Amino acid sequence: MTDVAEGSATDVDRSQRAAGARGHVPGDSSMWFFVIGDLLIFGVYFVGYMYFRGQHHELFLKSQARLNLDIGAINTVMLLTSSLFVVLGTEAARAGNRAAALQRFWIALAFGAAFPLLKMFEWIPEISAGVTPGKNLFFMYYYVMTGMHLCHVALGLVIMCFILRNLKTSKAPKISFVETGATYWHMVDVLWLVLFALLYLMR
Amino acid sequence: MAELPKAPAPSAGQATSWRRNRKLDQWIAFWSVPFFFNLFGLVFVPLSWMMPPRSPSSSTPHIVGFMHSHNLLIACVILTLAYGLAPVSNACYLMQVKRMSVSPAFRYSMMIGAITGAIVGMLFPMFCFGLGAFRPGYSPSVLTMLYDFGYLAFIGSLGCFCVMWMAFGLAIILDENNILPKWLGYYTIWQYVTELMAAPVWIAKSGPFAWNGLMTFWFAMMLYVSWQFIVYLCIYKAIKNQPEAELDNAPPEPHPGALEITSKTSA
Repeated sequence: MTDVAEGSATDVDRSQRAAGARGHVPGDSSMWFFVIGDLLIFGVYFVGYMYFRGQHHELFLKSQARLNLDIGAINTVMLLTSSLFVVLGTEAARAGNRAAALQRFWIALAFGAAFPLLKMFEWIPEISAGVTPGKNLFFMYYYVMTGMHLCHVALGLVIMCFILRNLKTSKAPKISFVETGATYWHMVDVLWLVLFALLYLMR
Repeated sequence: MAELPKAPAPSAGQATSWRRNRKLDQWIAFWSVPFFFNLFGLVFVPLSWMMPPRSPSSSTPHIVGFMHSHNLLIACVILTLAYGLAPVSNACYLMQVKRMSVSPAFRYSMMIGAITGAIVGMLFPMFCFGLGAFRPGYSPSVLTMLYDFGYLAFIGSLGCFCVMWMAFGLAIILDENNILPKWLGYYTIWQYVTELMAAPVWIAKSGPFAWNGLMTFWFAMMLYVSWQFIVYLCIYKAIKNQPEAELDNAPPEPHPGALEITSKTSA
């Protein structure tokens, strides 16, 4: 997504790589601006959710019991594994091992792509059973927040494809772009962990 | 809007006159934005109390009283007159997007997004609220429908602007000419993603996801207003920093050669 902006950053990257990763902000600094802002926005949603949960405690607990905890847990593992391979792939790209980086990013993409598929296996039976956003406030929160997160996952998968293209086609892969994409993907992962805890686990 | 820069015959010693300012068209478009938003704010809040939005679960007598108020009719008349300012104020964004090294598809999407958004988000509610005040004889059930239609069009249509601002944000991020700062592109992405939050207003009739709710209205509005201010400041800087030779309307009079230098993307 941001590969055009990285052109001037490649030379800097090489010296940074040589100097070691200590004290260097990985990726594009405007991505960090985005990540922090996005976390703040989701933070407001989480606070709002907690407030209304406190107001309708019984309703939220009863509705929560209807969620598919198994798929939620499998999806958590999928995202965490995907993030692990993103870390390994970034390491390989930094070390200049392009083949390994490509392989690891493909695995990360596969685990990431499983997330929306599994989400459909979760959502479709729920919606056909009449558990729609209009049912009550809990399900409205559930669909809105997981839906927003799903948009983030979709964008992350697109970014991952750009990373793969960058690693595959360019003579000197842009490490800062790989790092920018990895930063974004980890944010998606962190958001899911909080969502999973708030929506599925909290009692 | 673009007719103003037809500068009069050059008169010696008056080179700094505001009428000869080659960015005059852009500045007019630019200053129409605060004028437009202030007018909007005055009409919506203290004049008609259309905003902050009334509750979707208001009682029928409340709805009828509101729809029949004279101030609402005056507000709709003012909005009818001001409606044309929307294209002028959008021109100031489009002229800067045109300078970016991105496909024209971005600015065409912005343009069409702004048009569809303004029709649904401004024209429809204006007609709905105006109609209610126009003829006192409408039955309460018709007035309730117009009330729902007006508010749903106004708040539930934020998604129309979504594509417009998505094109704007992506153009900023992909642009190589650095017309606007990259972080503004990312900021725009949050802004338009929160506009998607308007979807639940079609389902919820009370609570945080109703059209007057904490999440769908207040939070989205807070983000939008602060974003609008910041975009506005960035556009100001971009117009200020734009080299004169790069302007579309740079007249050939002083140095005919100056016209050769045009931006990467031209009409």
